[in-house]
Amino acid sequence: MASEIEIRVPDIGDFSDVEVIEVLVAAGDTVALDDGLVTLETDKASMEVPSTEAGEVVSVSVNVGDTISEGDVVAIVRTAAETVEESEPTTEPETSAPAEEAVAPVDEESTPSTGVGVETVVVPDIGDFDGVDVIEVSVSVGDEVAIDDALITLETDKASMDVPSTVAGTITALHVSVGDQVAEGAVIAEIQSTATAEPVPAAAPPPKLAAAAPVSTPQPPVESTPKTAAPAAKSSAVDEAGFSKAHASPSIRKLARELGVDLVRVKGTGHKGRIIAEDLKRWVKDQLSGGSAGQGASLPAVPTVDFAKFGEITETPLTRIQKISGPRLQASWINLPHVTQHDLADITDMDARRKALKSTAAERGIKLTPLAFIMRAVVQTLQTYPRMNSSLSADGGSLIEKHYMNIGFAADTENGLVVPVIHDADKMDVYELAQALAELSALARDGKLKPQQMQGATFTISSLGGIGGTAFTPIVNAPEVGILGVSKSSMQPIWDGEQFQPRLMLPLSLSYDHRVIDGALAVRFTTQLAQCLANVDGLMQAIP
Amino acid sequence: MADTETTFDLAVLGSGPGGYTAAFRAADLGLNVALIERWPSLGGVCLNVGCIPSKALLHAAKVIDEAEEMSAHGISFGTPSIETDKLNHWKQSVVNRLTGGLTQLAKQRKVTVIQGTGKFIDAHNLSVVDESQTETNVSFKQCVIAAGSEPVILPGLPDDPRIVDSTGALEIDPMPDSLLIVGGGIIGLELGSVYAALGSKVTVVELTDQLMPGADPDLVRPLTKRFKSRFADILLGTKVTGMTSESDGIRVSFEGKADIDSALFDRVLVAVGRRPNGAAIAADAAGVHIDERGFVPVDKRMRTNVDHIFAIGDIVGQPMLAHKATHEAKVAAEVAAGHKSVFDARVIPSVAYTDPEIAWVGLTELDAKRDGIAYEKGQFPWAASGRSLAMARDEGFTKVLFDPTDGRVLGGGIVGPNAGDLIAEVAFAVEMGADASDIGLTIHPHPTLSETVAMAAEAFEGTLTDLYMPKRRA
Repeated sequence: MASEIEIRVPDIGDFSDVEVIEVLVAAGDTVALDDGLVTLETDKASMEVPSTEAGEVVSVSVNVGDTISEGDVVAIVRTAAETVEESEPTTEPETSAPAEEAVAPVDEESTPSTGVGVETVVVPDIGDFDGVDVIEVSVSVGDEVAIDDALITLETDKASMDVPSTVAGTITALHVSVGDQVAEGAVIAEIQSTATAEPVPAAAPPPKLAAAAPVSTPQPPVESTPKTAAPAAKSSAVDEAGFSKAHASPSIRKLARELGVDLVRVKGTGHKGRIIAEDLKRWVKDQLSGGSAGQGASLPAVPTVDFAKFGEITETPLTRIQKISGPRLQASWINLPHVTQHDLADITDMDARRKALKSTAAERGIKLTPLAFIMRAVVQTLQTYPRMNSSLSADGGSLIEKHYMNIGFAADTENGLVVPVIHDADKMDVYELAQALAELSALARDGKLKPQQMQGATFTISSLGGIGGTAFTPIVNAPEVGILGVSKSSMQPIWDGEQFQPRLMLPLSLSYDHRVIDGALAVRFTTQLAQCLANVDGLMQAIP
Repeated sequence: MADTETTFDLAVLGSGPGGYTAAFRAADLGLNVALIERWPSLGGVCLNVGCIPSKALLHAAKVIDEAEEMSAHGISFGTPSIETDKLNHWKQSVVNRLTGGLTQLAKQRKVTVIQGTGKFIDAHNLSVVDESQTETNVSFKQCVIAAGSEPVILPGLPDDPRIVDSTGALEIDPMPDSLLIVGGGIIGLELGSVYAALGSKVTVVELTDQLMPGADPDLVRPLTKRFKSRFADILLGTKVTGMTSESDGIRVSFEGKADIDSALFDRVLVAVGRRPNGAAIAADAAGVHIDERGFVPVDKRMRTNVDHIFAIGDIVGQPMLAHKATHEAKVAAEVAAGHKSVFDARVIPSVAYTDPEIAWVGLTELDAKRDGIAYEKGQFPWAASGRSLAMARDEGFTKVLFDPTDGRVLGGGIVGPNAGDLIAEVAFAVEMGADASDIGLTIHPHPTLSETVAMAAEAFEGTLTDLYMPKRRA
């Protein structure tokens, strides 16, 4: 039995009045399921509106140049009865289903429990802060707390904030005290929950920025106090005339002054457009993460896609490390003109020597890895080319040469990429480097690296050779100017002038900041590095 | 010259409301603070010879006036007997209680109080000379100048104890039969109210055509009307051209709209304004700029041109009000302690504690008309306030000025008993960016005078039911 079906514009995201740039079918055409009927173009992309039915096009309701929105009729298709029955099971009504059916991401952590039992309350996402001081503990064991009651007050150099309870009940244990340093996820308290099944907000309430005067320890004034302290965000001068008219209460204005936020730039989300503390916090966060909420050139945005429309998904929050490293990688990628120089190093002798020494080293508790040799060769090469060990000054106006060599190495951990740093690597021989590598790697795996063990690097090595690959383009760990990528070594036929010799060749990929390093210098660097790696006696020399 | 043992993190020059607030706030923020005061008691002009003793006397005047007014409504006390010694003593006990409290608060905060007159030696040292001429050198890392102001003395006046300034007028013994107040501003009129209530024949002479110049004329009108029945004379648009000492009084000659050329007064109060003490502190030794009028220019963080030296209160400019000084003091102390505070207050209320009180804050109609600022007014007459009528008063009114585009409160003025207490709500509304409906929809307690603020807002909105008003809006 035939029937005429109206084909409508499906959910096309938050767009309406989208222009029709092409009509793909005409009356009388036969279309199959998912055949394109018309092409729409938004300012982000063009897309085809597929037929949700198979059959014959009775009429097309739109013309090129029309603007249409979700739900508008595109065409009428006459279906054949058997086609309908056949196609019904495979028809995907989802293509026109409203977006509400999309699977809502589940965030287990942020759903406070309402049952009775002992719950732990942890430090929520407090932005990119680590090791934040606890300056006040507002509760003690035995206290009754309600949801949102402040448990502790944290203070960063930017602001102080209360951490609210996500559970109502009686505090049975407290795990922090004043002066402690905590980070996201740290357990604050255990609470014997007394809540009944009353509904609670689905998401953990975000920490509230204290509206009152931050209670930061005063900096002892020095004789020459700087004229104005640097504002927290990269805002320039405050528009005082606009500031004085902003719809913000005195406490918000005070907070804005502390944070160095020009209220003119902040959009208020409170009643009647009032700027509230959350607006300030969001603005500062956006600024810190390089967002474009404020002024300045913003990057073109990646289109937002509702993945759940296309199949099942799960959403897992990024780890803290990923949240920190992501913006840093992006900052380097955006700010540095990257060039990568590739080369091969003959490590046949080095590898033979390493294997020969391996067991004796193991007796001394040292695991002699190729990376230790590579790091020794890098140090030797940096000594010849100290420019690779330098940094540009913050204003880009001068070059800073560092008379120390701290070599970072990228370590893959469960939580993400970390870069432990071997300090004074130039004062270590291969054995000492191997030992330091082993120790720091173990700490990295266990998430126990101290901040100073991840700071101060002057050059970084990223070795993926244990896994594979022939070459890659690492991202410089700015403000360093160079990073050495190492891929998997392989036996290759090398012409020695008379015949091919089987040699173990190690691929090297040196990315560098082209503002500091010329191409010629880079290739001299990799050439010498390859020579150092080939000269195993040189690598094994004792450190003077 | 003796040196203090330590270099203080902060030296505060002057212990008035601004100075002691700066000192205490800085101490609370962890700074080691010295508070330098030339008089034996802390508190400055406000506590010792200003706001506080004058309010004690105004309270006495109000008791007399109200008792007298009730005689028309069935309660008579007869003529009051006034013991000026006791009155002075009570007034002084109020002052002592507050200043003594300050000394305690300084001690609890470990603020070092140094008595003597401070002058800068250089940008990090003050010389403090006490009554016995002992000189102490106070070294500081940062400094807050809070040296205040003093009454303006008219040039060419005879040196006669019967010619007094506001400080002298606060000592009310012996009561003069007649008193001339030169200057119809807040200070002169407050003291004039006291003397009139205590039985003096008070005459006011004011150069401009209005008492309390700067306030909206409609606010001043009820006050002028009341004064007309209580004061001997109010001479507006009139200039004092000379004063001579005579055995039975001070002869004062006038010129202007008043139809008298001269008159004899037992006492003359000169209340023509206050001038900053900028010239008295040797600021140039520290490199601090003082302008030609004696004010110290400062930025929004209360810094002078010398980065580590702040100035607050009367010495930085008008309005010379204690509540402005305390607010500035907190900004200065916080900035000195490394905070990023800024003087961000949008409005500073003004209050005359006369009877009726006059209070205003933010935009005035005078300012709006002068600067061409668009506004709409909501006004509520206290003749329709049950509470005001129950106080036997009906001359007051409350007006609130609104932005015609979004209804936000721009300012307001109130005249009537307790207007000074009521104006705080309007100030709060301006700071919060509240609009007419925010105020009108806030339930105010009945029957109070505070209702009049809400009703003024309702009058603007057209939702007021306590009066019949032509329809304004839906």
